[in-house]
Amino acid sequence: MLAYILNLATLICINAVLAITLNFIMGYAGIFSIAHAIFFGVGAYTAAYVALHASASIFLVIPVAMLVAGALSLVLALPALRVRGEYFVAASLGLQVLGVTVFSEWKSVTGGLGGMIGIPPADIFGFAVTDPVQFLLLAICCLIPVLLITSVLLRSSFGRNLKAIRDSESAAHAFGKNVAIIKTMSVVISAMLAAVAGALYAFYMGFINVESFMLDTSVLLMAMVIIGGTGTLLGPIVGTVLLMLLPGIFSYMTFLPQTEIGSIQQIAYGLAMVLLMIYRPGGIVGSGKPRITKEKAA
Amino acid sequence: MLLLQLLINGVQVGALYALIAVGFSLIFGSTRIFHFAHGSAFTIAAYVFYDLVSIEQIHWLIAVLGASVAAVLFGLVLNRFVYVPIQKHEGSFFTVFVASFGVGIIVQNLCGMLFGRAFVAVNSPLSQSMELLPGLYVAPLSGIAIIIAVVFFVGLQLFLSRTHTGMAMRALSENPELVRAYGLSPRRLSMTVFALGSFLAVPAALLSAAGSGLNPAIGHHVMLISLAATIVGGVGSLRGAACAGVLLGLAENLSLAWFEPQWSEAITFIVLFLFILFRPSGFFGRVTAS
Repeated sequence: MLAYILNLATLICINAVLAITLNFIMGYAGIFSIAHAIFFGVGAYTAAYVALHASASIFLVIPVAMLVAGALSLVLALPALRVRGEYFVAASLGLQVLGVTVFSEWKSVTGGLGGMIGIPPADIFGFAVTDPVQFLLLAICCLIPVLLITSVLLRSSFGRNLKAIRDSESAAHAFGKNVAIIKTMSVVISAMLAAVAGALYAFYMGFINVESFMLDTSVLLMAMVIIGGTGTLLGPIVGTVLLMLLPGIFSYMTFLPQTEIGSIQQIAYGLAMVLLMIYRPGGIVGSGKPRITKEKAA
Repeated sequence: MLLLQLLINGVQVGALYALIAVGFSLIFGSTRIFHFAHGSAFTIAAYVFYDLVSIEQIHWLIAVLGASVAAVLFGLVLNRFVYVPIQKHEGSFFTVFVASFGVGIIVQNLCGMLFGRAFVAVNSPLSQSMELLPGLYVAPLSGIAIIIAVVFFVGLQLFLSRTHTGMAMRALSENPELVRAYGLSPRRLSMTVFALGSFLAVPAALLSAAGSGLNPAIGHHVMLISLAATIVGGVGSLRGAACAGVLLGLAENLSLAWFEPQWSEAITFIVLFLFILFRPSGFFGRVTAS
């Protein structure tokens, strides 16, 4: 039971990092990306590769993962600068499909569909983090800085610029703001912080394959942000906790056929997404109307 | 000969993609609802057809009717009980998208529970390939697919340009307020759009069930393709969506001559990505991307 709770808490921390970083571009910059799982994946694969081939020290692995994801995120920034709305969604969808293909086909680096196995435990100054309690502490120690960095950034002039761009790009432009650089920066920051979650995930599981970084993950992350409340600080965390606890409930219903548990969990996710969008589209923390930020929450 | 074979396969697959894309484009163009669950209408039609023909052993004509009714009902129920309530308070693009994606997940997993996750196919003598030229195999089904696609597309164009309802549908995409001012109900019109759009997924679903087979995840793939075709063709242009569907089918199959099959979906999306970067309005679309 304790092991189960620890596992769940660690996964909640990892997903919360992803939801917070996605909210950073979705809620504040108005960039609705459904390719977030790709940066999670890039972080995880880079971390696994570095840990297997060089060193498992988190002070090497996490910065390298962040750099690689940050560099690749420029590919996402490119369409974000040119188009909005459904066009950008389609572009990010394209990136998502492309990324999954690369993850599963670039066999020499990613191990193909089989993935990468035997990733060594995270190493902090020669101390290997193997105990679940210690790993949870490590995950929390990553979640808090991510939360701090994003909230400090959003309180700064950078955050105000982002919101200005989200609400009216031409108005921000008229005020002499460099829209292209601010948008690109927000995408790069979001991808770099998402890579931290990827590195944690790779260390925690000890095994990664493409299954964890598919379109479903991206949409689940998006659902976490929207259900929790887009453009609020607490929203993504609430959404993550809610959606991560949901499948656990079904594991206790012993009357359900065990072979179909996976499908039933998926159906419950789907149903939760549909019902919440109908009855609470602004999210649980939100004001009832999405994309309108409360002054206090920011 | 390999290239000719791939070209023929490409046109056949492209004809099916075109039909599905036109359905999605019709719905998205007139109601601005990002109907991601359009792929689910396809899956439902295909599985109902499979169930009636291969499991219940009912005559195929009745099965076609059953599949059509199922797909149209799905579209109508989804619009009435999911999209209309969401649009009542606010029609944010992403709210609709997430709800629609949720429906897709539900349908995929229900089909998996009911029919299993493996590939199934309806056995039909029409899918037996014949050797037309040495090394060139063509099944009667590919001819049928192309004819059906053309017939449906011409029929749809006539319906939209000649009938009163068709014209009202086009008006809905231009200006819903004006439609209301003319005493028509945008709500009833969007029901018709959903019925028609979902119905357009049926022929493609039946041909896939009889041809390449289906699994519960097929709707997902189909949806990605029709989304790509809608954007590449230009949002709001049915002609564009149809052409782009054929183009993507061709690209997917011709790429097999040089790449492994796992890359075919990625190639579709490279085409899409380039279009969005360099020509976001598509072939025929109005310039709407800002």
